[in-house]
Amino acid sequence: MHYMVPGDDPVWLSQLRKGSVEHCVLALLRNEERYGFELAKLLVDAGGLIAGEGTIYPLLARLRKNGLVDTTWRESTEGPPRRYYRLTESGQLALTAFIHQWKLFRESIDAILTGELAA
Amino acid sequence: MTEVARNSQIIDDYLQTLTLALAGLPEDRRAEIVEEVSEHIAEARTTLDVENEASLRALLGRIGDPTAIAAEAGAPPLDRGRPSDQAVPWLLLLGGLPLLIFAPLALFWMVGVVWLWRSNRWNLTMKLVGTFVLPGGLLPFAVLLTQPTFASSCVSHGSPDGKVVTHCTTSGFQLNPVVAITVALVALIAPLVTTWLLQRNPQEQ
Repeated sequence: MHYMVPGDDPVWLSQLRKGSVEHCVLALLRNEERYGFELAKLLVDAGGLIAGEGTIYPLLARLRKNGLVDTTWRESTEGPPRRYYRLTESGQLALTAFIHQWKLFRESIDAILTGELAA
Repeated sequence: MTEVARNSQIIDDYLQTLTLALAGLPEDRRAEIVEEVSEHIAEARTTLDVENEASLRALLGRIGDPTAIAAEAGAPPLDRGRPSDQAVPWLLLLGGLPLLIFAPLALFWMVGVVWLWRSNRWNLTMKLVGTFVLPGGLLPFAVLLTQPTFASSCVSHGSPDGKVVTHCTTSGFQLNPVVAITVALVALIAPLVTTWLLQRNPQEQ
């Protein structure tokens, strides 16, 4: 059986994605609680931040284990109850730190790419 | 097979492949991921315009390769080709038999048990089955065979007063023949079924 795999991405790009996707999940939870299915769709639609929708679940489990997100079960109008994720206080702190570090990172890469540093 | 049955077979196959790919994880973590992915599939199915084999495979393709999910979960990759894994079913089946000749030779079976538990080819259920159905593999059956299960011997001799006296002694277990045959059949078939289960290609499990 064959499943779609992200084919032609260079290694650096998939590593960069891998390194930043957890914080993207935190950012998606900044203002509201969401459940796994919803998060998976958002991350895939945002240009394939996760390789497959299913990989969101181990990722969420890791975030929860590290205390960055919390879960609650909520009834849904259709189907079984859903597990909703929300940001914890340390998740909020991790996100704030990431936003700051990401900005510095992006600026230094941009500076090198545009040749500003060399001038 | 009806289309509905085939569709649920496609989903079941996917979930089984996922369960197997996660074999290296603790049972509760694996169960949780499989359950969440299964709910994800259930919800994604409600968004399909038409449910058929092609649309389901596309749906599973979006969910992703089970090995990618397992890698994200930190599950060690399956090494189904490991030589010790090949030997395990046979050690468990036959490794207890040398005990009949020389007790320490039962180590072969024990080596099988150690390799079974060390491997990530089998899940917890299969490891328990491999260990306890039956301990020693075919050994219990062989022991039953060598025991005079319902043998009895009678000795007749004439007594001085002219009567013939018959003494019967029964050795071994006193078992109702039906029970004895059932026990023997179970002791023979159970380890063979276990071997067959352990031998199966992981993909089929």
